[in-house]
Amino acid sequence: MTPSTAPALQLRGISKRFGHVTALAGVDLTAYDGNILAVLGDNGAGKSTLIKVISGVHQPDEGEIQVNEESVILRNPADARTAGVATVFQDLALVEVLDVSTNMFLGQFPRRGWFVDRKAMDQQSRAFLDELRVTVASVKTEIGMLSGGQRQIVAIARAMRTGAQIVLLDEPTAALGVRETAHAADLIRALRDRGTAVICVSHDMNFVFEVADRVQVMRLGRVVGVREIATTTRDEVIGLITGSIADSPTEERT
Amino acid sequence: MTQTVSGVAPSAGAAPAAERRVDWTRYSQQAGLIAVVVLLGAVFTAKNSDFATSSNLIELLRAATLYFIVACASTMILVGGGLDFSIGAVYALGAVVSGELMTHNVWWPVAILGGIAAGVLVGLLNAAISVYLSVPPLIATLGTFFVASGLAVVMTSGSDVFGFPDSFINLGAGDIAGIPNLIFYALAVGLIFHVLLERTLFGYDTRALGGNRAAAAANGIRVARRDLQLYSISGGVAALAGILGAARLSTASPTAGGSGLTFQVITAVIIGGTSLFGGSGTIAGSALGAILFAEINNGLQVVNVNPLYQQIFIGVILVAAVAIDQYQRKRRFRA
Repeated sequence: MTPSTAPALQLRGISKRFGHVTALAGVDLTAYDGNILAVLGDNGAGKSTLIKVISGVHQPDEGEIQVNEESVILRNPADARTAGVATVFQDLALVEVLDVSTNMFLGQFPRRGWFVDRKAMDQQSRAFLDELRVTVASVKTEIGMLSGGQRQIVAIARAMRTGAQIVLLDEPTAALGVRETAHAADLIRALRDRGTAVICVSHDMNFVFEVADRVQVMRLGRVVGVREIATTTRDEVIGLITGSIADSPTEERT
Repeated sequence: MTQTVSGVAPSAGAAPAAERRVDWTRYSQQAGLIAVVVLLGAVFTAKNSDFATSSNLIELLRAATLYFIVACASTMILVGGGLDFSIGAVYALGAVVSGELMTHNVWWPVAILGGIAAGVLVGLLNAAISVYLSVPPLIATLGTFFVASGLAVVMTSGSDVFGFPDSFINLGAGDIAGIPNLIFYALAVGLIFHVLLERTLFGYDTRALGGNRAAAAANGIRVARRDLQLYSISGGVAALAGILGAARLSTASPTAGGSGLTFQVITAVIIGGTSLFGGSGTIAGSALGAILFAEINNGLQVVNVNPLYQQIFIGVILVAAVAIDQYQRKRRFRA
Protein backbone atom coordinates (compact mmCIF):
# COMPACT_ATOMS: atom_id res chain seq x y z
CA MET A 1 0.00 0.00 0.00
CA THR A 2 2.98 2.32 0.15
CA PRO A 3 2.27 4.83 -2.59
CA SER A 4 4.65 4.70 -5.49
CA THR A 5 4.83 8.49 -5.64
CA ALA A 6 7.77 10.48 -4.31
CA PRO A 7 7.76 10.97 -0.54
CA ALA A 8 6.35 14.22 0.82
CA LEU A 9 8.71 14.11 3.79
CA GLN A 10 11.90 12.17 4.15
CA LEU A 11 14.25 12.10 7.13
CA ARG A 12 17.67 10.53 6.76
CA GLY A 13 20.01 9.66 9.60
CA ILE A 14 18.59 12.16 12.09
CA SER A 15 20.49 12.23 15.38
CA LYS A 16 19.80 14.40 18.38
CA ARG A 17 21.64 14.46 21.68
CA PHE A 18 20.85 16.34 24.88
CA GLY A 19 24.07 16.38 26.86
CA HIS A 20 25.01 12.73 27.29
CA VAL A 21 21.56 11.45 26.37
CA THR A 22 21.09 10.34 22.79
CA ALA A 23 17.40 10.92 22.07
CA LEU A 24 17.59 10.03 18.37
CA ALA A 25 20.27 7.89 16.74
CA GLY A 26 20.26 7.83 12.96
CA VAL A 27 16.50 7.90 12.51
CA ASP A 28 14.97 7.61 9.04
CA LEU A 29 11.34 8.39 8.27
CA THR A 30 9.34 8.56 5.07
CA ALA A 31 5.84 9.99 4.73
CA TYR A 32 3.72 10.06 1.60
CA ASP A 33 0.88 12.26 0.41
CA GLY A 34 -2.54 10.80 1.15
CA ASN A 35 -1.11 8.32 3.62
CA ILE A 36 -1.21 8.07 7.42
CA LEU A 37 2.02 7.02 9.10
CA ALA A 38 1.77 6.13 12.77
CA VAL A 39 4.87 6.36 14.94
CA LEU A 40 4.70 3.96 17.87
CA GLY A 41 7.11 3.38 20.71
CA ASP A 42 7.43 3.10 24.44
CA ASN A 43 8.25 6.06 26.68
CA GLY A 44 11.74 7.29 25.91
CA ALA A 45 11.72 5.85 22.39
CA GLY A 46 12.34 9.33 20.95
CA LYS A 47 8.88 9.97 19.49
CA SER A 48 8.48 13.43 20.99
CA THR A 49 11.99 14.48 20.04
CA LEU A 50 11.32 13.29 16.50
CA ILE A 51 8.12 15.37 16.30
CA LYS A 52 9.99 18.39 17.61
CA VAL A 53 12.71 17.97 15.00
CA ILE A 54 10.17 17.79 12.17
CA SER A 55 8.23 20.77 13.51
CA GLY A 56 11.35 22.92 13.85
CA VAL A 57 11.36 23.11 17.66
CA HIS A 58 14.61 21.13 17.94
CA GLN A 59 17.43 21.16 15.41
CA PRO A 60 19.05 17.79 14.67
CA ASP A 61 22.77 17.34 15.35
CA GLU A 62 23.10 15.18 12.26
CA GLY A 63 21.00 14.10 9.34
CA GLU A 64 18.92 15.54 6.56
CA ILE A 65 15.28 16.55 6.19
CA GLN A 66 13.73 16.62 2.73
CA VAL A 67 10.34 18.00 1.79
CA ASN A 68 9.25 17.01 -1.72
CA GLU A 69 12.77 15.71 -2.31
CA GLU A 70 14.33 19.07 -1.54
CA SER A 71 16.59 19.48 1.43
CA VAL A 72 15.30 21.92 4.05
CA ILE A 73 16.73 23.34 7.27
CA LEU A 74 14.10 24.01 9.93
CA ARG A 75 15.56 26.50 12.39
CA ASN A 76 12.25 27.28 14.08
CA PRO A 77 8.53 26.45 13.85
CA ALA A 78 8.01 29.29 11.38
CA ASP A 79 10.48 27.62 8.99
CA ALA A 80 8.59 24.35 9.33
CA ARG A 81 5.34 26.09 8.49
CA THR A 82 6.86 27.71 5.46
CA ALA A 83 8.06 24.28 4.35
CA GLY A 84 4.47 23.02 4.58
CA VAL A 85 4.59 21.21 7.93
CA ALA A 86 1.79 21.84 10.46
CA THR A 87 1.94 20.31 13.94
CA VAL A 88 -0.78 19.52 16.46
CA PHE A 89 1.14 19.36 19.71
CA GLN A 90 0.16 17.19 22.63
CA ASP A 91 -0.39 20.24 24.80
CA LEU A 92 -2.42 21.54 21.83
CA ALA A 93 -0.69 24.91 21.59
CA LEU A 94 -3.98 26.79 21.83
CA VAL A 95 -4.35 30.15 23.53
CA GLU A 96 -7.03 29.69 26.18
CA VAL A 97 -7.95 33.35 26.61
CA LEU A 98 -8.52 33.77 22.87
CA ASP A 99 -11.55 32.67 20.90
CA VAL A 100 -11.87 29.76 18.49
CA SER A 101 -11.45 31.69 15.26
CA THR A 102 -8.41 33.60 16.51
CA ASN A 103 -6.87 30.29 17.49
CA MET A 104 -7.72 28.79 14.11
CA PHE A 105 -5.67 31.52 12.44
CA LEU A 106 -2.87 31.86 15.01
CA GLY A 107 0.29 32.97 13.26
CA GLN A 108 -1.55 33.39 9.94
CA PHE A 109 -4.12 36.11 10.61
CA PRO A 110 -5.85 37.27 7.41
CA ARG A 111 -5.40 40.96 6.78
CA ARG A 112 -7.11 43.79 5.00
CA GLY A 113 -4.61 46.56 4.59
CA TRP A 114 -3.20 47.37 8.02
CA PHE A 115 -5.85 45.50 9.92
CA VAL A 116 -6.68 41.91 10.75
CA ASP A 117 -9.80 40.89 8.85
CA ARG A 118 -11.86 39.71 11.80
CA LYS A 119 -14.99 39.12 9.72
CA ALA A 120 -13.23 36.89 7.19
CA MET A 121 -11.60 35.04 10.07
CA ASP A 122 -14.94 34.32 11.77
CA GLN A 123 -16.70 33.38 8.53
CA GLN A 124 -13.94 31.06 7.36
CA SER A 125 -13.63 29.45 10.78
CA ARG A 126 -17.38 28.87 10.92
CA ALA A 127 -17.50 27.44 7.40
CA PHE A 128 -14.52 25.23 8.05
CA LEU A 129 -15.79 23.85 11.35
CA ASP A 130 -19.23 23.23 9.82
CA GLU A 131 -17.61 21.35 6.98
CA LEU A 132 -15.86 19.15 9.52
CA ARG A 133 -19.09 18.78 11.49
CA VAL A 134 -17.42 20.24 14.57
CA THR A 135 -19.98 21.56 17.03
CA VAL A 136 -18.78 24.72 18.66
CA ALA A 137 -21.47 27.08 19.89
CA SER A 138 -19.76 30.18 18.56
CA VAL A 139 -16.41 30.80 16.92
CA LYS A 140 -16.14 33.69 19.37
CA THR A 141 -16.11 31.29 22.32
CA GLU A 142 -12.84 31.35 24.21
CA ILE A 143 -10.88 28.09 24.04
CA GLY A 144 -10.81 28.07 27.84
CA MET A 145 -14.56 27.42 27.83
CA LEU A 146 -14.31 24.28 25.68
CA SER A 147 -13.92 20.71 26.84
CA GLY A 148 -10.66 18.84 26.29
CA GLY A 149 -12.17 17.00 23.35
CA GLN A 150 -13.44 20.15 21.70
CA ARG A 151 -10.01 21.71 22.10
CA GLN A 152 -8.36 18.71 20.46
CA ILE A 153 -10.76 18.89 17.54
CA VAL A 154 -10.13 22.63 17.13
CA ALA A 155 -6.38 21.98 17.17
CA ILE A 156 -6.69 19.34 14.45
CA ALA A 157 -9.05 21.55 12.46
CA ARG A 158 -6.49 24.34 12.67
CA ALA A 159 -3.78 22.12 11.22
CA MET A 160 -6.17 21.21 8.41
CA ARG A 161 -7.07 24.82 7.80
CA THR A 162 -3.48 25.87 7.24
CA GLY A 163 -3.54 23.69 4.14
CA ALA A 164 -0.20 22.20 5.10
CA GLN A 165 1.04 19.33 2.96
CA ILE A 166 2.38 17.48 5.98
CA VAL A 167 0.48 17.32 9.28
CA LEU A 168 2.09 16.02 12.47
CA LEU A 169 -0.15 14.89 15.31
CA ASP A 170 1.35 14.28 18.74
CA GLU A 171 -0.85 11.88 20.75
CA PRO A 172 -4.08 13.11 19.18
CA THR A 173 -6.29 10.90 21.34
CA ALA A 174 -4.45 11.19 24.65
CA ALA A 175 -7.16 13.18 26.44
CA LEU A 176 -10.23 12.05 24.52
CA GLY A 177 -13.28 9.99 25.35
CA VAL A 178 -14.63 7.27 23.08
CA ARG A 179 -16.88 9.46 20.98
CA GLU A 180 -14.29 12.19 20.65
CA THR A 181 -11.65 9.67 19.63
CA ALA A 182 -13.93 8.47 16.84
CA HIS A 183 -14.42 12.03 15.66
CA ALA A 184 -10.68 12.68 15.75
CA ALA A 185 -10.19 9.54 13.66
CA ASP A 186 -12.73 10.84 11.13
CA LEU A 187 -10.90 14.14 10.91
CA ILE A 188 -7.56 12.44 10.40
CA ARG A 189 -9.00 10.28 7.61
CA ALA A 190 -10.53 13.38 6.03
CA LEU A 191 -7.08 14.92 6.15
CA ARG A 192 -5.59 11.93 4.34
CA ASP A 193 -8.37 11.93 1.75
CA ARG A 194 -7.47 15.50 0.91
CA GLY A 195 -4.03 14.21 -0.03
CA THR A 196 -2.19 15.31 3.10
CA ALA A 197 0.76 13.35 4.40
CA VAL A 198 -0.19 12.59 8.02
CA ILE A 199 2.28 11.55 10.71
CA CYS A 200 0.66 10.52 13.95
CA VAL A 201 2.58 9.75 17.14
CA SER A 202 0.51 7.62 19.45
CA HIS A 203 0.42 5.19 22.34
CA ASP A 204 -3.03 4.01 21.39
CA MET A 205 -2.66 0.71 19.53
CA ASN A 206 -6.37 0.43 18.72
CA PHE A 207 -6.39 3.90 17.25
CA VAL A 208 -3.28 3.19 15.17
CA PHE A 209 -4.67 -0.05 13.74
CA GLU A 210 -7.97 1.62 13.00
CA VAL A 211 -6.66 4.75 11.32
CA ALA A 212 -3.09 4.40 10.08
CA ASP A 213 -1.85 3.04 6.75
CA ARG A 214 1.71 2.41 7.86
CA VAL A 215 3.39 2.15 11.23
CA GLN A 216 6.95 2.97 12.21
CA VAL A 217 8.12 1.53 15.52
CA MET A 218 10.84 3.20 17.54
CA ARG A 219 12.81 1.98 20.48
CA LEU A 220 15.53 3.78 22.45
CA GLY A 221 16.02 6.46 19.81
CA ARG A 222 16.20 4.07 16.84
CA VAL A 223 13.77 2.87 14.22
CA VAL A 224 13.19 -0.85 14.74
CA GLY A 225 10.67 -1.46 12.00
CA VAL A 226 8.31 -0.01 9.44
CA ARG A 227 5.22 -2.04 8.50
CA GLU A 228 2.07 -1.79 6.45
CA ILE A 229 -0.91 -1.95 8.78
CA ALA A 230 -2.69 -4.26 6.31
CA THR A 231 0.04 -6.88 6.47
CA THR A 232 1.20 -6.72 10.06
CA THR A 233 -0.33 -7.84 13.33
CA ARG A 234 -0.62 -6.31 16.75
CA ASP A 235 1.62 -9.02 18.14
CA GLU A 236 4.35 -8.18 15.68
CA VAL A 237 4.13 -4.46 16.44
CA ILE A 238 4.13 -5.10 20.20
CA GLY A 239 7.14 -7.35 19.73
CA LEU A 240 8.96 -4.56 17.94
CA ILE A 241 8.03 -2.03 20.64
CA THR A 242 9.26 -4.23 23.48
CA GLY A 243 12.29 -5.53 21.58
CA SER A 244 11.29 -9.18 21.64
CA ILE A 245 11.37 -9.17 17.82
CA ALA A 246 14.75 -8.44 16.28
CA ASP A 247 15.38 -5.04 14.71
CA SER A 248 14.67 -4.69 11.04
CA PRO A 249 14.93 -0.97 10.56
CA THR A 250 15.47 -0.79 6.82
CA GLU A 251 13.18 -3.57 5.65
CA GLU A 252 9.93 -2.15 4.54
CA ARG A 253 7.48 -4.68 3.19
CA THR A 254 5.61 -3.65 0.11
CA MET B 1 -18.06 15.11 18.12
CA THR B 2 -21.63 16.27 18.08
CA GLN B 3 -21.91 16.46 21.85
CA THR B 4 -19.59 17.27 24.66
CA VAL B 5 -18.55 14.16 26.48
CA SER B 6 -17.47 15.40 29.86
CA GLY B 7 -20.40 16.16 32.14
CA VAL B 8 -19.47 19.75 32.91
CA ALA B 9 -19.67 21.17 29.41
CA PRO B 10 -22.13 24.04 29.21
CA SER B 11 -20.64 25.56 26.07
CA ALA B 12 -21.91 23.24 23.35
CA GLY B 13 -25.53 23.36 22.35
CA ALA B 14 -26.89 26.62 23.71
CA ALA B 15 -25.29 28.86 21.11
CA PRO B 16 -26.91 32.27 21.62
CA ALA B 17 -26.61 32.13 25.40
CA ALA B 18 -22.90 31.38 25.19
CA GLU B 19 -22.36 34.23 22.78
CA ARG B 20 -24.11 36.76 24.99
CA ARG B 21 -22.32 35.61 28.10
CA VAL B 22 -18.89 36.04 26.53
CA ASP B 23 -19.65 39.58 25.46
CA TRP B 24 -21.01 40.48 28.86
CA THR B 25 -18.15 39.18 31.00
CA ARG B 26 -15.59 40.78 28.72
CA TYR B 27 -16.90 44.22 29.60
CA SER B 28 -18.26 43.62 33.09
CA GLN B 29 -15.14 44.83 34.83
CA GLN B 30 -15.19 48.04 32.83
CA ALA B 31 -18.88 48.52 33.55
CA GLY B 32 -18.12 48.05 37.23
CA LEU B 33 -15.28 50.54 37.00
CA ILE B 34 -17.48 53.14 35.34
CA ALA B 35 -19.99 52.62 38.16
CA VAL B 36 -17.25 53.16 40.76
CA VAL B 37 -16.00 56.31 39.01
CA VAL B 38 -19.54 57.75 38.79
CA LEU B 39 -20.46 56.76 42.34
CA LEU B 40 -17.28 58.21 43.77
CA GLY B 41 -17.88 61.38 41.76
CA ALA B 42 -21.38 61.62 43.23
CA VAL B 43 -20.02 61.23 46.75
CA PHE B 44 -17.36 63.92 46.22
CA THR B 45 -19.93 66.25 44.65
CA ALA B 46 -22.32 65.73 47.56
CA LYS B 47 -19.54 66.67 49.97
CA ASN B 48 -18.38 69.66 47.94
CA SER B 49 -20.14 70.84 44.79
CA ASP B 50 -16.84 72.30 43.52
CA PHE B 51 -15.85 68.79 42.49
CA ALA B 52 -18.25 68.69 39.54
CA THR B 53 -17.28 72.06 38.04
CA SER B 54 -15.96 71.84 34.51
CA SER B 55 -12.64 73.43 35.48
CA ASN B 56 -12.07 70.83 38.19
CA LEU B 57 -13.07 67.95 35.92
CA ILE B 58 -10.69 69.21 33.24
CA GLU B 59 -7.94 69.46 35.85
CA LEU B 60 -8.77 65.91 36.94
CA LEU B 61 -8.45 64.61 33.38
CA ARG B 62 -5.25 66.55 32.82
CA ALA B 63 -3.76 64.95 35.89
CA ALA B 64 -4.57 61.53 34.47
CA THR B 65 -3.07 62.16 31.02
CA LEU B 66 0.63 61.47 31.53
CA TYR B 67 -0.07 58.34 33.55
CA PHE B 68 -2.51 57.19 30.91
CA ILE B 69 -0.05 57.72 28.06
CA VAL B 70 2.50 55.50 29.82
CA ALA B 71 -0.30 53.08 30.76
CA CYS B 72 -1.20 52.52 27.08
CA ALA B 73 2.20 50.99 26.40
CA SER B 74 2.16 49.13 29.72
CA THR B 75 -1.20 47.62 28.79
CA MET B 76 0.32 46.29 25.58
CA ILE B 77 3.27 44.82 27.50
CA LEU B 78 1.04 43.15 30.10
CA VAL B 79 -1.31 41.80 27.42
CA GLY B 80 1.82 40.42 25.73
CA GLY B 81 2.71 38.57 28.91
CA GLY B 82 5.56 40.89 29.87
CA LEU B 83 6.15 43.54 32.50
CA ASP B 84 8.05 46.80 32.34
CA PHE B 85 9.15 48.25 35.66
CA SER B 86 11.65 50.64 34.10
CA ILE B 87 8.96 53.09 32.88
CA GLY B 88 9.26 55.42 35.88
CA ALA B 89 13.00 55.82 35.37
CA VAL B 90 12.70 56.08 31.59
CA TYR B 91 10.16 58.87 32.14
CA ALA B 92 12.87 60.87 33.91
CA LEU B 93 15.63 59.81 31.53
CA GLY B 94 13.68 60.87 28.44
CA ALA B 95 12.92 64.26 29.98
CA VAL B 96 16.49 64.83 31.06
CA VAL B 97 18.02 63.77 27.72
CA SER B 98 15.67 66.10 25.82
CA GLY B 99 16.29 68.86 28.34
CA GLU B 100 20.07 68.56 28.14
CA LEU B 101 19.92 68.57 24.35
CA MET B 102 17.81 71.73 24.35
CA THR B 103 20.07 73.52 26.80
CA HIS B 104 22.92 72.61 24.43
CA ASN B 105 21.10 74.46 21.67
CA VAL B 106 19.68 71.49 19.85
CA TRP B 107 16.45 72.38 18.00
CA TRP B 108 13.59 71.26 20.26
CA PRO B 109 11.88 68.78 17.88
CA VAL B 110 15.22 67.01 17.48
CA ALA B 111 15.71 67.12 21.24
CA ILE B 112 12.33 65.40 21.70
CA LEU B 113 13.33 62.67 19.25
CA GLY B 114 16.61 62.30 21.13
CA GLY B 115 14.78 61.77 24.40
CA ILE B 116 12.41 59.23 22.84
CA ALA B 117 15.39 57.43 21.29
CA ALA B 118 16.93 57.09 24.76
CA GLY B 119 13.70 55.47 25.95
CA VAL B 120 13.58 53.12 22.96
CA LEU B 121 17.16 52.08 23.68
CA VAL B 122 16.29 51.16 27.26
CA GLY B 123 13.30 49.23 25.91
CA LEU B 124 15.48 47.30 23.45
CA LEU B 125 17.86 46.54 26.29
CA ASN B 126 14.93 45.26 28.43
CA ALA B 127 13.76 42.93 25.68
CA ALA B 128 17.29 41.75 24.86
CA ILE B 129 18.00 40.94 28.51
CA SER B 130 14.77 39.03 28.98
CA VAL B 131 14.77 37.24 25.61
CA TYR B 132 18.44 36.44 25.04
CA LEU B 133 19.67 36.14 28.63
CA SER B 134 16.42 34.51 29.83
CA VAL B 135 16.18 36.93 32.74
CA PRO B 136 12.52 37.33 33.80
CA PRO B 137 11.12 40.72 32.67
CA LEU B 138 10.46 41.71 36.30
CA ILE B 139 14.18 41.47 37.10
CA ALA B 140 15.43 42.76 33.74
CA THR B 141 13.32 45.92 33.93
CA LEU B 142 14.00 46.41 37.63
CA GLY B 143 17.69 46.37 36.75
CA THR B 144 17.29 48.88 33.94
CA PHE B 145 15.08 50.99 36.22
CA PHE B 146 18.09 51.59 38.46
CA VAL B 147 20.46 52.03 35.53
CA ALA B 148 18.19 54.57 33.80
CA SER B 149 17.56 56.41 37.09
CA GLY B 150 21.27 56.53 37.72
CA LEU B 151 22.00 57.79 34.21
CA ALA B 152 19.44 60.58 34.57
CA VAL B 153 21.03 61.70 37.83
CA VAL B 154 24.61 61.42 36.55
CA MET B 155 23.83 63.37 33.35
CA THR B 156 22.43 66.28 35.31
CA SER B 157 24.64 65.98 38.39
CA GLY B 158 21.38 65.56 40.24
CA SER B 159 19.92 68.97 39.53
CA ASP B 160 16.92 70.01 37.47
CA VAL B 161 17.34 71.10 33.85
CA PHE B 162 15.49 74.20 32.64
CA GLY B 163 15.64 77.08 30.20
CA PHE B 164 13.58 75.61 27.36
CA PRO B 165 12.22 77.41 24.30
CA ASP B 166 8.64 78.66 24.54
CA SER B 167 7.35 76.53 21.70
CA PHE B 168 8.50 73.42 23.60
CA ILE B 169 6.93 74.57 26.88
CA ASN B 170 3.70 75.35 25.04
CA LEU B 171 3.48 71.68 24.00
CA GLY B 172 2.91 70.63 27.60
CA ALA B 173 1.48 73.76 29.19
CA GLY B 174 -0.66 75.13 26.37
CA ASP B 175 -4.34 74.62 25.74
CA ILE B 176 -6.90 74.78 22.96
CA ALA B 177 -10.16 76.53 23.92
CA GLY B 178 -9.41 75.99 27.59
CA ILE B 179 -8.74 72.29 27.23
CA PRO B 180 -5.10 71.41 27.97
CA ASN B 181 -3.06 70.08 25.03
CA LEU B 182 -2.15 67.06 27.15
CA ILE B 183 -5.75 65.83 27.03
CA PHE B 184 -5.67 65.85 23.23
CA TYR B 185 -2.36 63.98 23.21
CA ALA B 186 -3.75 61.39 25.60
CA LEU B 187 -6.83 60.91 23.40
CA ALA B 188 -4.65 60.50 20.31
CA VAL B 189 -2.25 58.08 22.01
CA GLY B 190 -5.16 56.11 23.49
CA LEU B 191 -6.88 55.81 20.11
CA ILE B 192 -3.68 54.71 18.38
CA PHE B 193 -3.00 52.05 21.01
CA HIS B 194 -6.60 50.86 21.01
CA VAL B 195 -6.50 50.32 17.24
CA LEU B 196 -3.04 48.78 17.48
CA LEU B 197 -4.16 46.27 20.12
CA GLU B 198 -7.63 45.42 18.81
CA ARG B 199 -7.24 45.56 15.05
CA THR B 200 -3.71 45.03 13.83
CA LEU B 201 -1.57 41.96 13.34
CA PHE B 202 0.76 43.33 16.02
CA GLY B 203 -2.13 43.43 18.50
CA TYR B 204 -3.34 39.94 17.65
CA ASP B 205 0.17 38.55 17.90
CA THR B 206 0.63 40.34 21.23
CA ARG B 207 -2.50 38.74 22.71
CA ALA B 208 -1.42 35.33 21.49
CA LEU B 209 2.05 35.89 22.92
CA GLY B 210 0.67 36.79 26.33
CA GLY B 211 -2.02 34.12 26.31
CA ASN B 212 0.34 31.25 25.57
CA ARG B 213 3.87 32.07 24.57
CA ALA B 214 4.76 28.50 23.60
CA ALA B 215 1.66 28.20 21.43
CA ALA B 216 2.38 31.51 19.73
CA ALA B 217 5.93 30.38 18.95
CA ALA B 218 4.81 26.93 17.81
CA ASN B 219 2.37 28.53 15.39
CA GLY B 220 5.02 30.61 13.74
CA ILE B 221 4.65 33.93 15.56
CA ARG B 222 8.11 35.44 15.94
CA VAL B 223 7.96 35.98 19.69
CA ALA B 224 11.40 37.51 20.20
CA ARG B 225 10.77 40.13 17.54
CA ARG B 226 7.42 40.99 19.09
CA ASP B 227 9.09 41.38 22.50
CA LEU B 228 11.67 43.74 21.06
CA GLN B 229 8.88 45.82 19.52
CA LEU B 230 6.75 45.82 22.67
CA TYR B 231 9.53 46.91 25.02
CA SER B 232 10.87 49.52 22.58
CA ILE B 233 7.38 51.01 22.32
CA SER B 234 7.08 51.00 26.11
CA GLY B 235 10.44 52.74 26.52
CA GLY B 236 9.71 55.27 23.79
CA VAL B 237 6.26 56.12 25.14
CA ALA B 238 7.48 56.42 28.75
CA ALA B 239 10.20 58.82 27.55
CA LEU B 240 7.64 60.80 25.53
CA ALA B 241 5.42 61.16 28.59
CA GLY B 242 8.41 62.36 30.62
CA ILE B 243 9.25 64.92 27.93
CA LEU B 244 5.66 66.21 27.90
CA GLY B 245 5.76 66.38 31.69
CA ALA B 246 8.97 68.43 31.48
CA ALA B 247 7.33 70.73 28.94
CA ARG B 248 4.35 71.25 31.26
CA LEU B 249 6.55 72.15 34.24
CA SER B 250 9.26 73.92 32.16
CA THR B 251 11.67 71.70 34.05
CA ALA B 252 13.23 68.29 33.47
CA SER B 253 13.91 66.67 36.82
CA PRO B 254 16.07 63.54 37.10
CA THR B 255 13.88 62.45 40.00
CA ALA B 256 10.54 62.85 38.19
CA GLY B 257 8.51 59.68 37.64
CA GLY B 258 10.43 57.07 39.53
CA SER B 259 9.04 54.05 41.31
CA GLY B 260 5.89 56.02 42.20
CA LEU B 261 5.01 56.38 38.52
CA THR B 262 5.86 52.76 37.76
CA PHE B 263 3.57 51.50 40.51
CA GLN B 264 0.74 53.91 39.77
CA VAL B 265 0.74 53.08 36.07
CA ILE B 266 0.83 49.32 36.53
CA THR B 267 -1.82 49.56 39.25
CA ALA B 268 -4.09 51.66 37.01
CA VAL B 269 -3.66 49.14 34.18
CA ILE B 270 -4.53 46.20 36.42
CA ILE B 271 -7.51 48.00 37.99
CA GLY B 272 -8.61 48.56 34.39
CA GLY B 273 -8.98 44.82 33.91
CA THR B 274 -5.68 43.88 32.27
CA SER B 275 -4.44 40.56 33.53
CA LEU B 276 -0.98 40.29 35.01
CA PHE B 277 -0.88 36.82 33.47
CA GLY B 278 -1.14 38.03 29.90
CA GLY B 279 -3.57 37.74 27.03
CA SER B 280 -6.39 39.94 28.26
CA GLY B 281 -6.73 43.66 28.73
CA THR B 282 -8.01 46.79 27.02
CA ILE B 283 -6.88 50.38 26.53
CA ALA B 284 -10.35 51.62 27.55
CA GLY B 285 -9.97 49.78 30.86
CA SER B 286 -6.60 51.40 31.47
CA ALA B 287 -8.09 54.81 30.71
CA LEU B 288 -10.73 54.16 33.38
CA GLY B 289 -8.04 52.98 35.79
CA ALA B 290 -6.03 56.16 35.24
CA ILE B 291 -9.16 58.33 35.61
CA LEU B 292 -10.11 56.57 38.86
CA PHE B 293 -6.63 57.27 40.20
CA ALA B 294 -6.85 60.94 39.33
CA GLU B 295 -10.39 61.14 40.67
CA ILE B 296 -9.44 59.76 44.07
CA ASN B 297 -6.46 62.09 44.31
CA ASN B 298 -8.42 65.12 43.18
CA GLY B 299 -11.61 64.31 45.10
CA LEU B 300 -9.91 63.73 48.43
CA GLN B 301 -8.29 67.16 48.12
CA VAL B 302 -11.57 68.83 47.13
CA VAL B 303 -13.38 67.38 50.14
CA ASN B 304 -10.45 68.22 52.42
CA VAL B 305 -9.49 64.70 53.33
CA ASN B 306 -5.80 64.23 53.97
CA PRO B 307 -4.39 63.19 50.56
CA LEU B 308 -2.27 60.61 52.33
CA TYR B 309 -5.43 58.49 52.52
CA GLN B 310 -5.22 58.13 48.74
CA GLN B 311 -2.81 55.23 48.99
CA ILE B 312 -5.12 53.28 51.30
CA PHE B 313 -7.99 53.81 48.85
CA ILE B 314 -5.93 52.67 45.89
CA GLY B 315 -4.66 49.60 47.69
CA VAL B 316 -8.17 48.46 48.57
CA ILE B 317 -9.48 49.10 45.05
CA LEU B 318 -6.56 47.23 43.44
CA VAL B 319 -7.07 44.12 45.53
CA ALA B 320 -10.84 44.25 45.11
CA ALA B 321 -10.61 44.66 41.32
CA VAL B 322 -8.27 41.71 40.91
CA ALA B 323 -10.24 39.53 43.35
CA ILE B 324 -13.46 40.17 41.41
CA ASP B 325 -11.65 39.45 38.14
CA GLN B 326 -10.27 36.17 39.45
CA TYR B 327 -13.69 35.13 40.72
CA GLN B 328 -15.24 35.74 37.30
CA ARG B 329 -12.41 33.92 35.58
CA LYS B 330 -12.96 30.86 37.75
CA ARG B 331 -16.62 30.77 36.85
CA ARG B 332 -15.92 31.31 33.19
CA PHE B 333 -13.02 29.03 32.33
CA ARG B 334 -12.50 25.39 33.02
CA ALA B 335 -9.67 24.65 35.39
